Amino acid sequence: MTSKIDETTTITAGNKKVEITKKDRHHAILRWMFMGSALFNYETQQATSVVWSFSKLLRKIYPDDDEYVQALDNHFKYFNTTTAMANIILGATTAMEEKDGIKSKDAVQALKTSLMGPFAGIGDTIIWVLLPTVMGSISGYMAINGNPLGALAWILIGAIIFWIRLKLFDVGYNSGVKLVTEFGDKLSLFTDAISVLGLMVVGTLAATVVKVYTPLTFMTGKVKLSVQTGIFNNIMPALLPVCLTYLVYKMLNSKFWTPTKIIVALIVLSLVGSFTGILGVMPTK
Amino acid sequence: MSIEIIQNILIVLLAAYVTLDNLGITIVNYWAVTTGMIAGFIMGDLKTGLLIGGTFQLMSLGVAGLGGASVPDYGLAALVGTFLAARTGSGLTAAIAVGLPVGLLAINFDVLVKILNNFVAHRMQTYAHKHEFEKMRMIGLVGPLMFALKNAIIMTIIVSVGPKAVNAILAIIPKWVTNGLNIAGGMLPVLGIALLMHYMPVKKYIWAVFIGFVFSAYLKLPIIGISILGAAASIIVYKVGLSKSEAKASTANVDSNNEETEDDDYDE
Repeated sequence: MTSKIDETTTITAGNKKVEITKKDRHHAILRWMFMGSALFNYETQQATSVVWSFSKLLRKIYPDDDEYVQALDNHFKYFNTTTAMANIILGATTAMEEKDGIKSKDAVQALKTSLMGPFAGIGDTIIWVLLPTVMGSISGYMAINGNPLGALAWILIGAIIFWIRLKLFDVGYNSGVKLVTEFGDKLSLFTDAISVLGLMVVGTLAATVVKVYTPLTFMTGKVKLSVQTGIFNNIMPALLPVCLTYLVYKMLNSKFWTPTKIIVALIVLSLVGSFTGILGVMPTK
Repeated sequence: MSIEIIQNILIVLLAAYVTLDNLGITIVNYWAVTTGMIAGFIMGDLKTGLLIGGTFQLMSLGVAGLGGASVPDYGLAALVGTFLAARTGSGLTAAIAVGLPVGLLAINFDVLVKILNNFVAHRMQTYAHKHEFEKMRMIGLVGPLMFALKNAIIMTIIVSVGPKAVNAILAIIPKWVTNGLNIAGGMLPVLGIALLMHYMPVKKYIWAVFIGFVFSAYLKLPIIGISILGAAASIIVYKVGLSKSEAKASTANVDSNNEETEDDDYDE
Protein backbone atom coordinates (compact mmCIF):
# COMPACT_ATOMS: atom_id res chain seq x y z
CA MET A 1 0.00 0.00 0.00
CA THR A 2 1.83 3.06 -1.19
CA SER A 3 -0.80 5.75 -0.74
CA LYS A 4 -0.01 8.37 1.87
CA ILE A 5 -2.46 9.98 4.24
CA ASP A 6 -1.89 13.49 2.90
CA GLU A 7 -2.70 12.39 -0.61
CA THR A 8 -6.13 12.54 -2.08
CA THR A 9 -7.76 9.37 -3.30
CA THR A 10 -10.18 9.64 -6.15
CA ILE A 11 -12.98 7.12 -6.37
CA THR A 12 -14.78 6.73 -9.64
CA ALA A 13 -18.17 5.11 -9.65
CA GLY A 14 -20.09 5.40 -12.90
CA ASN A 15 -19.89 9.04 -13.82
CA LYS A 16 -19.52 10.23 -10.22
CA LYS A 17 -16.07 11.24 -9.01
CA VAL A 18 -15.51 11.55 -5.29
CA GLU A 19 -12.35 12.87 -3.71
CA ILE A 20 -11.32 11.64 -0.29
CA THR A 21 -8.95 13.93 1.53
CA LYS A 22 -6.91 13.66 4.70
CA LYS A 23 -9.52 15.93 6.28
CA ASP A 24 -12.30 13.40 5.57
CA ARG A 25 -10.29 10.62 7.14
CA HIS A 26 -9.39 12.65 10.21
CA HIS A 27 -13.03 13.66 10.55
CA ALA A 28 -13.94 9.96 10.71
CA ILE A 29 -11.28 9.04 13.25
CA LEU A 30 -12.14 12.05 15.44
CA ARG A 31 -15.76 10.87 15.44
CA TRP A 32 -14.44 7.48 16.59
CA MET A 33 -12.28 9.09 19.27
CA PHE A 34 -15.39 10.86 20.58
CA MET A 35 -17.74 7.86 20.40
CA GLY A 36 -15.35 5.10 21.52
CA SER A 37 -17.29 2.72 23.74
CA ALA A 38 -20.34 4.98 24.13
CA LEU A 39 -22.37 2.68 21.86
CA PHE A 40 -21.00 -0.41 23.58
CA ASN A 41 -23.51 -3.27 23.59
CA TYR A 42 -23.17 -6.88 24.70
CA GLU A 43 -23.87 -8.34 21.26
CA THR A 44 -21.47 -6.61 18.88
CA GLN A 45 -19.62 -4.47 21.47
CA GLN A 46 -17.90 -1.56 19.68
CA ALA A 47 -19.15 -2.38 16.18
CA THR A 48 -21.92 0.23 16.18
CA SER A 49 -19.42 2.87 17.27
CA VAL A 50 -17.27 2.03 14.25
CA VAL A 51 -20.28 2.30 11.93
CA TRP A 52 -21.40 5.60 13.47
CA SER A 53 -17.90 7.08 13.20
CA PHE A 54 -16.98 5.93 9.71
CA SER A 55 -20.39 6.09 8.02
CA LYS A 56 -19.69 9.47 6.37
CA LEU A 57 -16.27 8.44 5.10
CA LEU A 58 -17.60 5.09 3.85
CA ARG A 59 -20.37 6.93 2.00
CA LYS A 60 -17.63 8.70 0.03
CA ILE A 61 -15.81 5.45 -0.66
CA TYR A 62 -19.02 3.70 -1.73
CA PRO A 63 -21.21 6.12 -3.70
CA ASP A 64 -23.33 3.14 -4.71
CA ASP A 65 -26.12 2.49 -2.19
CA ASP A 66 -25.94 -1.32 -2.29
CA GLU A 67 -22.19 -1.42 -1.86
CA TYR A 68 -22.46 1.11 0.95
CA VAL A 69 -24.98 -1.02 2.85
CA GLN A 70 -22.79 -4.09 2.33
CA ALA A 71 -19.80 -2.21 3.74
CA LEU A 72 -21.85 -0.95 6.71
CA ASP A 73 -23.11 -4.47 7.41
CA ASN A 74 -19.51 -5.63 7.35
CA HIS A 75 -18.65 -3.12 10.07
CA PHE A 76 -21.81 -3.97 12.04
CA LYS A 77 -20.09 -7.27 12.92
CA TYR A 78 -18.52 -7.83 16.35
CA PHE A 79 -15.54 -5.63 17.10
CA ASN A 80 -13.87 -4.84 20.42
CA THR A 81 -10.40 -3.64 21.28
CA THR A 82 -8.71 -0.83 23.21
CA THR A 83 -10.21 2.32 21.69
CA ALA A 84 -6.77 3.87 21.20
CA MET A 85 -5.38 0.77 19.46
CA ALA A 86 -8.41 0.55 17.20
CA ASN A 87 -7.04 3.67 15.50
CA ILE A 88 -4.22 1.66 13.91
CA ILE A 89 -6.56 -1.10 12.78
CA LEU A 90 -9.12 1.35 11.39
CA GLY A 91 -6.35 3.25 9.62
CA ALA A 92 -5.29 0.07 7.84
CA THR A 93 -8.87 -0.93 6.93
CA THR A 94 -9.59 2.58 5.59
CA ALA A 95 -6.59 2.28 3.29
CA MET A 96 -7.77 -1.16 2.12
CA GLU A 97 -11.31 0.01 1.42
CA GLU A 98 -10.15 3.10 -0.45
CA LYS A 99 -7.87 0.99 -2.60
CA ASP A 100 -10.02 -2.05 -3.38
CA GLY A 101 -13.55 -0.93 -2.55
CA ILE A 102 -16.13 -3.58 -1.73
CA LYS A 103 -13.76 -6.34 -2.92
CA SER A 104 -11.76 -5.74 0.26
CA LYS A 105 -14.77 -6.65 2.43
CA ASP A 106 -13.54 -10.05 3.60
CA ALA A 107 -9.96 -8.89 4.03
CA VAL A 108 -11.15 -5.94 6.15
CA GLN A 109 -13.17 -8.28 8.35
CA ALA A 110 -10.25 -10.71 8.66
CA LEU A 111 -7.83 -7.95 9.60
CA LYS A 112 -10.16 -6.52 12.21
CA THR A 113 -10.91 -9.87 13.88
CA SER A 114 -7.33 -11.10 13.82
CA LEU A 115 -5.80 -7.92 15.26
CA MET A 116 -8.39 -6.79 17.79
CA GLY A 117 -7.41 -9.49 20.32
CA PRO A 118 -3.65 -8.98 20.42
CA PHE A 119 -4.02 -5.19 20.18
CA ALA A 120 -6.45 -5.19 23.10
CA GLY A 121 -4.00 -7.26 25.14
CA ILE A 122 -1.25 -4.73 24.57
CA GLY A 123 -3.36 -1.58 24.64
CA ASP A 124 -5.36 -2.47 27.74
CA THR A 125 -2.18 -3.35 29.63
CA ILE A 126 -0.45 -0.08 28.81
CA ILE A 127 -3.37 2.37 28.68
CA TRP A 128 -5.81 0.99 31.22
CA VAL A 129 -3.51 -0.84 33.67
CA LEU A 130 0.09 0.40 33.72
CA LEU A 131 -0.39 4.11 33.10
CA PRO A 132 -3.24 4.44 35.63
CA THR A 133 -1.22 2.47 38.19
CA VAL A 134 1.86 4.62 37.94
CA MET A 135 0.08 7.95 37.42
CA GLY A 136 -2.70 7.03 39.85
CA SER A 137 -0.34 6.28 42.71
CA ILE A 138 1.79 9.37 42.05
CA SER A 139 -1.12 11.78 41.66
CA GLY A 140 -3.17 10.07 44.39
CA TYR A 141 -0.41 10.56 46.94
CA MET A 142 0.19 14.15 45.89
CA ALA A 143 -3.55 14.88 46.06
CA ILE A 144 -3.91 13.49 49.58
CA ASN A 145 -1.17 15.89 50.62
CA GLY A 146 -3.08 18.75 48.96
CA ASN A 147 -0.96 18.97 45.81
CA PRO A 148 -2.90 19.11 42.50
CA LEU A 149 0.18 18.88 40.23
CA GLY A 150 -0.03 15.10 39.79
CA ALA A 151 -3.65 15.25 38.67
CA LEU A 152 -2.91 18.16 36.32
CA ALA A 153 0.05 16.28 34.85
CA TRP A 154 -2.24 13.32 34.23
CA ILE A 155 -4.67 15.49 32.23
CA LEU A 156 -1.71 16.80 30.23
CA ILE A 157 -0.63 13.21 29.52
CA GLY A 158 -4.19 12.51 28.36
CA ALA A 159 -3.91 15.35 25.87
CA ILE A 160 -0.55 14.08 24.59
CA ILE A 161 -1.97 10.57 24.19
CA PHE A 162 -4.90 12.06 22.27
CA TRP A 163 -2.42 13.48 19.75
CA ILE A 164 -0.51 10.16 19.61
CA ARG A 165 -3.78 8.32 18.89
CA LEU A 166 -4.40 10.59 15.91
CA LYS A 167 -0.90 9.73 14.67
CA LEU A 168 -1.54 6.01 15.22
CA PHE A 169 -4.41 6.25 12.73
CA ASP A 170 -2.04 7.78 10.16
CA VAL A 171 0.50 5.03 10.88
CA GLY A 172 -2.14 2.37 10.27
CA TYR A 173 -3.31 4.08 7.08
CA ASN A 174 0.16 4.54 5.64
CA SER A 175 1.83 1.31 6.63
CA GLY A 176 -0.87 -1.14 5.70
CA VAL A 177 -1.49 -4.67 6.82
CA LYS A 178 2.01 -6.13 6.99
CA LEU A 179 3.59 -3.36 9.03
CA VAL A 180 0.64 -3.20 11.37
CA THR A 181 1.18 -6.87 12.17
CA GLU A 182 4.90 -6.32 12.75
CA PHE A 183 4.17 -3.30 14.91
CA GLY A 184 2.05 -5.57 17.08
CA ASP A 185 4.96 -7.98 17.57
CA LYS A 186 7.30 -5.25 18.75
CA LEU A 187 4.67 -3.79 21.03
CA SER A 188 4.29 -7.06 22.90
CA LEU A 189 7.96 -6.92 23.89
CA PHE A 190 7.45 -3.28 24.86
CA THR A 191 4.47 -4.29 27.03
CA ASP A 192 6.55 -6.97 28.68
CA ALA A 193 9.33 -4.51 29.48
CA ILE A 194 7.00 -1.83 30.81
CA SER A 195 5.30 -4.47 32.99
CA VAL A 196 8.54 -4.53 35.00
CA LEU A 197 7.97 -0.88 35.87
CA GLY A 198 4.38 -1.67 36.78
CA LEU A 199 5.38 -4.57 39.00
CA MET A 200 7.95 -2.49 40.82
CA VAL A 201 5.17 -0.01 41.58
CA VAL A 202 2.99 -2.94 42.71
CA GLY A 203 5.66 -3.88 45.24
CA THR A 204 5.65 -0.30 46.50
CA LEU A 205 1.87 -0.11 46.69
CA ALA A 206 1.59 -3.24 48.82
CA ALA A 207 3.98 -1.61 51.30
CA THR A 208 2.58 1.90 51.37
CA VAL A 209 -0.99 2.24 50.11
CA VAL A 210 -2.65 -0.68 51.89
CA LYS A 211 -3.21 0.12 55.54
CA VAL A 212 -3.98 -2.61 58.07
CA TYR A 213 -3.38 -1.73 61.70
CA THR A 214 -4.22 -3.37 64.99
CA PRO A 215 -4.40 -1.36 68.23
CA LEU A 216 -4.27 -4.56 70.36
CA THR A 217 -1.85 -4.67 73.26
CA PHE A 218 -0.58 -7.51 75.48
CA MET A 219 0.16 -7.19 79.14
CA THR A 220 3.14 -9.29 80.16
CA GLY A 221 3.67 -8.66 83.82
CA LYS A 222 3.89 -4.90 84.08
CA VAL A 223 5.17 -4.39 80.53
CA LYS A 224 2.60 -3.32 77.95
CA LEU A 225 3.43 -4.67 74.51
CA SER A 226 1.78 -3.29 71.38
CA VAL A 227 1.11 -6.07 68.90
CA GLN A 228 1.63 -3.72 65.97
CA THR A 229 4.83 -1.89 66.87
CA GLY A 230 6.22 -4.55 69.24
CA ILE A 231 5.68 -7.68 67.13
CA PHE A 232 4.55 -7.17 63.53
CA ASN A 233 6.78 -4.21 62.72
CA ASN A 234 9.77 -6.07 64.10
CA ILE A 235 9.22 -9.02 61.79
CA MET A 236 8.83 -6.93 58.65
CA PRO A 237 7.47 -3.48 57.80
CA ALA A 238 3.97 -3.67 56.30
CA LEU A 239 3.59 -7.33 57.34
CA LEU A 240 -0.23 -7.24 57.61
CA PRO A 241 -0.75 -5.40 54.30
CA VAL A 242 1.49 -7.90 52.51
CA CYS A 243 -0.44 -10.85 54.00
CA LEU A 244 -3.76 -9.26 53.01
CA THR A 245 -2.49 -8.61 49.47
CA TYR A 246 -1.47 -12.25 49.11
CA LEU A 247 -4.81 -13.43 50.52
CA VAL A 248 -6.88 -11.30 48.10
CA TYR A 249 -4.61 -12.34 45.21
CA LYS A 250 -5.40 -15.98 46.02
CA MET A 251 -9.12 -15.24 46.51
CA LEU A 252 -9.29 -13.84 42.98
CA ASN A 253 -8.31 -17.27 41.66
CA SER A 254 -11.64 -18.66 42.76
CA LYS A 255 -14.74 -18.10 40.65
CA PHE A 256 -16.78 -17.21 43.72
CA TRP A 257 -14.84 -14.10 44.75
CA THR A 258 -15.68 -11.37 42.25
CA PRO A 259 -14.15 -7.92 42.86
CA THR A 260 -17.49 -6.58 44.10
CA LYS A 261 -17.85 -9.41 46.62
CA ILE A 262 -14.31 -8.76 47.84
CA ILE A 263 -15.10 -5.07 48.37
CA VAL A 264 -18.17 -5.97 50.43
CA ALA A 265 -16.19 -8.59 52.39
CA LEU A 266 -13.45 -6.05 53.20
CA ILE A 267 -16.02 -3.52 54.41
CA VAL A 268 -17.64 -6.17 56.64
CA LEU A 269 -14.21 -7.19 57.95
CA SER A 270 -13.40 -3.55 58.76
CA LEU A 271 -16.70 -3.03 60.56
CA VAL A 272 -16.28 -6.22 62.60
CA GLY A 273 -12.65 -5.31 63.33
CA SER A 274 -13.67 -1.85 64.41
CA PHE A 275 -16.50 -3.15 66.63
CA THR A 276 -14.31 -5.72 68.39
CA GLY A 277 -11.30 -3.41 68.58
CA ILE A 278 -9.05 -5.83 66.68
CA LEU A 279 -8.54 -3.34 63.86
CA GLY A 280 -8.03 0.39 64.12
CA VAL A 281 -7.24 3.45 62.05
CA MET A 282 -3.50 3.74 61.66
CA PRO A 283 -2.28 6.70 63.76
CA THR A 284 -0.53 9.30 61.61
CA LYS A 285 3.11 9.65 62.48
CA MET B 1 -28.08 30.51 47.85
CA SER B 2 -27.71 31.24 44.16
CA ILE B 3 -24.05 30.19 44.18
CA GLU B 4 -25.13 26.84 45.56
CA ILE B 5 -27.51 26.34 42.63
CA ILE B 6 -24.76 27.20 40.15
CA GLN B 7 -22.47 24.72 41.91
CA ASN B 8 -25.18 22.05 41.78
CA ILE B 9 -25.68 22.54 38.05
CA LEU B 10 -21.94 22.48 37.34
CA ILE B 11 -21.50 19.29 39.39
CA VAL B 12 -24.28 17.54 37.44
CA LEU B 13 -22.78 18.70 34.14
CA LEU B 14 -19.34 17.52 35.26
CA ALA B 15 -20.77 14.10 36.11
CA ALA B 16 -22.32 13.86 32.64
CA TYR B 17 -19.18 15.03 30.86
CA VAL B 18 -16.55 12.87 32.60
CA THR B 19 -18.31 9.63 31.74
CA LEU B 20 -18.39 10.60 28.05
CA ASP B 21 -14.74 11.65 28.19
CA ASN B 22 -13.89 8.28 29.71
CA LEU B 23 -15.62 6.33 26.92
CA GLY B 24 -13.88 8.00 24.01
CA ILE B 25 -11.91 11.21 24.37
CA THR B 26 -9.96 10.16 27.50
CA ILE B 27 -8.20 13.48 28.15
CA VAL B 28 -9.67 14.55 31.50
CA ASN B 29 -10.94 11.00 31.83
CA TYR B 30 -12.89 9.67 34.76
CA TRP B 31 -10.11 9.13 37.25
CA ALA B 32 -11.13 9.69 40.83
CA VAL B 33 -8.28 12.12 41.38
CA THR B 34 -8.95 14.32 38.33
CA THR B 35 -12.75 14.35 38.82
CA GLY B 36 -12.32 14.97 42.54
CA MET B 37 -9.97 17.86 41.83
CA ILE B 38 -12.37 19.52 39.38
CA ALA B 39 -15.34 18.89 41.70
CA GLY B 40 -13.37 20.44 44.56
CA PHE B 41 -12.59 23.44 42.38
CA ILE B 42 -16.30 23.87 41.55
CA MET B 43 -17.27 23.57 45.22
CA GLY B 44 -14.63 26.13 46.19
CA ASP B 45 -12.86 23.53 48.32
CA LEU B 46 -9.97 22.22 46.26
CA LYS B 47 -8.27 20.63 49.27
CA THR B 48 -11.26 18.42 50.10
CA GLY B 49 -11.64 17.48 46.44
CA LEU B 50 -8.00 16.44 46.25
CA LEU B 51 -8.15 14.50 49.53
CA ILE B 52 -11.26 12.54 48.54
CA GLY B 53 -10.24 12.14 44.89
CA GLY B 54 -6.80 10.96 45.96
CA THR B 55 -8.23 8.49 48.50
CA PHE B 56 -10.59 6.94 45.94
CA GLN B 57 -7.81 6.97 43.35
CA LEU B 58 -5.59 4.86 45.60
CA MET B 59 -8.55 2.52 46.23
CA SER B 60 -9.13 2.12 42.52
CA LEU B 61 -5.53 1.39 41.51
CA GLY B 62 -5.52 -1.60 39.20
CA VAL B 63 -9.29 -1.88 38.99
CA ALA B 64 -9.86 -1.64 35.25
CA GLY B 65 -13.02 -2.30 33.23
CA LEU B 66 -11.41 -4.32 30.48
CA GLY B 67 -13.27 -5.96 27.61
CA GLY B 68 -16.50 -4.21 28.54
CA ALA B 69 -16.50 -5.40 32.14
CA SER B 70 -18.35 -3.14 34.56
CA VAL B 71 -16.33 -2.08 37.59
CA PRO B 72 -17.08 0.04 40.68
CA ASP B 73 -17.44 3.62 39.60
CA TYR B 74 -14.72 5.27 41.69
CA GLY B 75 -14.90 8.44 39.60
CA LEU B 76 -18.55 8.88 40.54
CA ALA B 77 -17.70 7.96 44.13
CA ALA B 78 -15.15 10.79 44.19
CA LEU B 79 -17.67 13.21 42.70
CA VAL B 80 -20.43 12.32 45.15
CA GLY B 81 -17.98 12.25 48.03
CA THR B 82 -16.44 15.62 47.21
CA PHE B 83 -19.80 17.28 46.73
CA LEU B 84 -21.19 16.00 50.04
CA ALA B 85 -18.04 16.60 52.05
CA ALA B 86 -17.71 20.17 50.78
CA ARG B 87 -21.41 20.96 51.19
CA THR B 88 -21.90 19.42 54.64
CA GLY B 89 -18.36 19.81 55.96
CA SER B 90 -18.42 16.16 57.05
CA GLY B 91 -15.03 15.12 55.66
CA LEU B 92 -13.68 11.82 54.40
CA THR B 93 -15.91 9.48 56.41
CA ALA B 94 -19.14 10.71 54.80
CA ALA B 95 -17.43 10.63 51.40
CA ILE B 96 -16.60 6.94 51.82
CA ALA B 97 -19.91 6.10 53.51
CA VAL B 98 -22.01 7.54 50.68
CA GLY B 99 -19.63 7.73 47.71
CA LEU B 100 -18.56 4.08 47.73
CA PRO B 101 -22.09 2.56 47.80
CA VAL B 102 -23.16 4.94 45.01
CA GLY B 103 -20.11 3.89 43.00
CA LEU B 104 -21.03 0.23 43.52
CA LEU B 105 -24.70 0.79 42.62
CA ALA B 106 -23.66 2.62 39.45
CA ILE B 107 -22.36 -0.70 38.05
CA ASN B 108 -25.97 -1.81 37.58
CA PHE B 109 -26.85 1.29 35.58
CA ASP B 110 -23.75 0.80 33.47
CA VAL B 111 -24.93 -2.72 32.63
CA LEU B 112 -28.43 -1.39 31.92
CA VAL B 113 -27.15 1.20 29.41
CA LYS B 114 -25.08 -1.45 27.64
CA ILE B 115 -28.18 -3.66 27.36
CA LEU B 116 -30.25 -0.75 26.01
CA ASN B 117 -27.47 -0.02 23.51
CA ASN B 118 -28.33 -3.37 21.96
CA PHE B 119 -31.66 -1.94 20.82
CA VAL B 120 -29.87 1.12 19.47
CA ALA B 121 -27.55 -1.16 17.49
CA HIS B 122 -30.48 -3.02 15.90
CA ARG B 123 -32.28 0.24 15.13
CA MET B 124 -29.15 1.57 13.43
CA GLN B 125 -28.81 -1.51 11.27
CA THR B 126 -32.50 -1.36 10.33
CA TYR B 127 -32.10 2.25 9.23
CA ALA B 128 -29.02 1.29 7.24
CA HIS B 129 -31.00 -1.38 5.39
CA LYS B 130 -33.76 1.14 4.70
CA HIS B 131 -31.11 3.48 3.27
CA GLU B 132 -31.99 6.12 5.88
CA PHE B 133 -28.40 6.92 6.71
CA GLU B 134 -28.95 10.28 8.38
CA LYS B 135 -31.44 8.70 10.79
CA MET B 136 -28.93 5.90 11.45
CA ARG B 137 -26.36 8.44 12.65
CA MET B 138 -28.93 10.38 14.68
CA ILE B 139 -30.12 7.31 16.60
CA GLY B 140 -26.47 6.50 17.30
CA LEU B 141 -26.29 9.54 19.54
CA VAL B 142 -28.70 7.84 21.94
CA GLY B 143 -25.78 5.71 23.26
CA PRO B 144 -23.66 8.58 24.60
CA LEU B 145 -26.82 10.39 25.68
CA MET B 146 -27.84 7.44 27.88
CA PHE B 147 -24.37 7.20 29.42
CA ALA B 148 -24.40 10.93 30.21
CA LEU B 149 -27.95 10.74 31.62
CA LYS B 150 -27.01 7.77 33.79
CA ASN B 151 -24.53 9.94 35.69
CA ALA B 152 -26.59 13.13 35.50
CA ILE B 153 -29.64 11.46 37.06
CA ILE B 154 -27.66 9.87 39.91
CA MET B 155 -25.91 13.18 40.57
CA THR B 156 -29.16 15.17 40.48
CA ILE B 157 -30.60 12.91 43.16
CA ILE B 158 -27.47 13.29 45.29
CA VAL B 159 -27.43 17.05 44.81
CA SER B 160 -31.09 17.49 45.75
CA VAL B 161 -31.48 15.13 48.71
CA GLY B 162 -27.87 14.18 49.53
CA PRO B 163 -26.72 16.81 52.06
CA LYS B 164 -29.83 16.48 54.24
CA ALA B 165 -29.70 12.69 54.13
CA VAL B 166 -25.99 12.66 54.95
CA ASN B 167 -26.46 14.90 57.96
CA ALA B 168 -29.31 12.69 59.17
CA ILE B 169 -27.26 9.52 58.66
CA LEU B 170 -24.19 10.96 60.36
CA ALA B 171 -26.29 11.99 63.37
CA ILE B 172 -27.41 8.43 64.11
CA ILE B 173 -24.40 6.45 62.91
CA PRO B 174 -22.35 5.03 65.84
CA LYS B 175 -18.66 5.76 66.26
CA TRP B 176 -17.50 2.21 65.52
CA VAL B 177 -19.20 2.32 62.10
CA THR B 178 -17.50 5.52 60.98
CA ASN B 179 -14.27 4.11 62.39
CA GLY B 180 -14.83 0.88 60.46
CA LEU B 181 -15.44 2.79 57.22
CA ASN B 182 -12.16 4.61 57.68
CA ILE B 183 -10.41 1.26 58.22
CA ALA B 184 -12.06 -0.04 55.05
CA GLY B 185 -10.77 3.02 53.21
CA GLY B 186 -7.26 1.99 54.16
CA MET B 187 -7.74 -1.66 53.23
CA LEU B 188 -9.63 -1.41 49.92
CA PRO B 189 -6.61 -0.53 47.74
CA VAL B 190 -5.55 -4.15 48.28
CA LEU B 191 -8.12 -5.30 45.71
CA GLY B 192 -6.63 -3.26 42.89
CA ILE B 193 -3.12 -4.39 43.73
CA ALA B 194 -4.20 -8.04 43.72
CA LEU B 195 -6.00 -7.52 40.40
CA LEU B 196 -2.88 -5.91 38.94
CA MET B 197 -0.86 -8.95 39.91
CA HIS B 198 -3.36 -11.03 37.94
CA TYR B 199 -3.07 -8.92 34.78
CA MET B 200 0.70 -8.70 34.81
CA PRO B 201 3.40 -11.35 34.33
CA VAL B 202 4.02 -11.45 38.08
CA LYS B 203 5.64 -14.90 38.13
CA LYS B 204 8.11 -13.98 35.41
CA TYR B 205 9.19 -10.71 36.99
CA ILE B 206 8.64 -11.34 40.71
CA TRP B 207 12.06 -9.76 41.36
CA ALA B 208 10.62 -6.38 40.34
CA VAL B 209 7.93 -6.66 43.04
CA PHE B 210 10.59 -7.44 45.64
CA ILE B 211 12.81 -4.53 44.60
CA GLY B 212 9.86 -2.13 44.73
CA PHE B 213 8.87 -3.42 48.16
CA VAL B 214 12.35 -3.16 49.69
CA PHE B 215 12.98 0.33 48.32
CA SER B 216 9.70 1.68 49.69
CA ALA B 217 9.14 -0.32 52.91
CA TYR B 218 12.73 -0.31 54.18
CA LEU B 219 14.44 2.54 52.35
CA LYS B 220 11.38 4.89 52.19
CA LEU B 221 12.05 5.94 48.59
CA PRO B 222 9.15 8.07 47.27
CA ILE B 223 6.98 6.68 44.48
CA ILE B 224 8.47 8.89 41.74
CA GLY B 225 11.93 7.58 42.61
CA ILE B 226 10.66 4.03 42.32
CA SER B 227 9.04 4.80 38.97
CA ILE B 228 12.37 6.05 37.64
CA LEU B 229 14.07 2.92 38.96
CA GLY B 230 11.36 0.85 37.27
CA ALA B 231 11.81 2.74 34.00
CA ALA B 232 15.53 1.91 34.11
CA ALA B 233 14.70 -1.77 34.65
CA SER B 234 12.23 -1.73 31.73
CA ILE B 235 14.86 -0.33 29.38
CA ILE B 236 17.19 -3.20 30.32
CA VAL B 237 14.45 -5.80 29.86
CA TYR B 238 13.47 -4.28 26.49
CA LYS B 239 17.06 -4.22 25.20
CA VAL B 240 17.75 -7.78 26.35
CA GLY B 241 14.48 -8.96 24.82
CA LEU B 242 15.22 -7.19 21.53
CA SER B 243 18.70 -8.71 21.18
CA LYS B 244 17.24 -12.10 22.11
CA SER B 245 14.56 -11.92 19.43
CA GLU B 246 17.08 -10.67 16.86
CA ALA B 247 19.36 -13.58 17.67
CA LYS B 248 16.38 -15.90 17.35
CA ALA B 249 15.43 -14.37 14.01
CA SER B 250 18.93 -14.80 12.62
CA THR B 251 19.19 -18.43 13.74
CA ALA B 252 15.74 -19.03 12.26
CA ASN B 253 17.02 -17.66 8.96
CA VAL B 254 20.10 -19.87 9.03
CA ASP B 255 18.26 -23.02 9.96
CA SER B 256 14.56 -22.85 9.23
CA ASN B 257 14.09 -26.49 10.22
CA ASN B 258 15.11 -25.74 13.75
CA GLU B 259 11.82 -25.85 15.61
CA GLU B 260 13.19 -25.09 19.03
CA THR B 261 12.13 -21.63 20.09
CA GLU B 262 12.10 -20.21 23.53
CA ASP B 263 8.68 -19.35 24.82
CA ASP B 264 8.52 -15.60 25.30
CA ASP B 265 4.89 -15.40 26.26
CA TYR B 266 3.52 -14.30 29.57
CA ASP B 267 3.52 -16.91 32.26
CA GLU B 268 0.06 -15.82 33.17
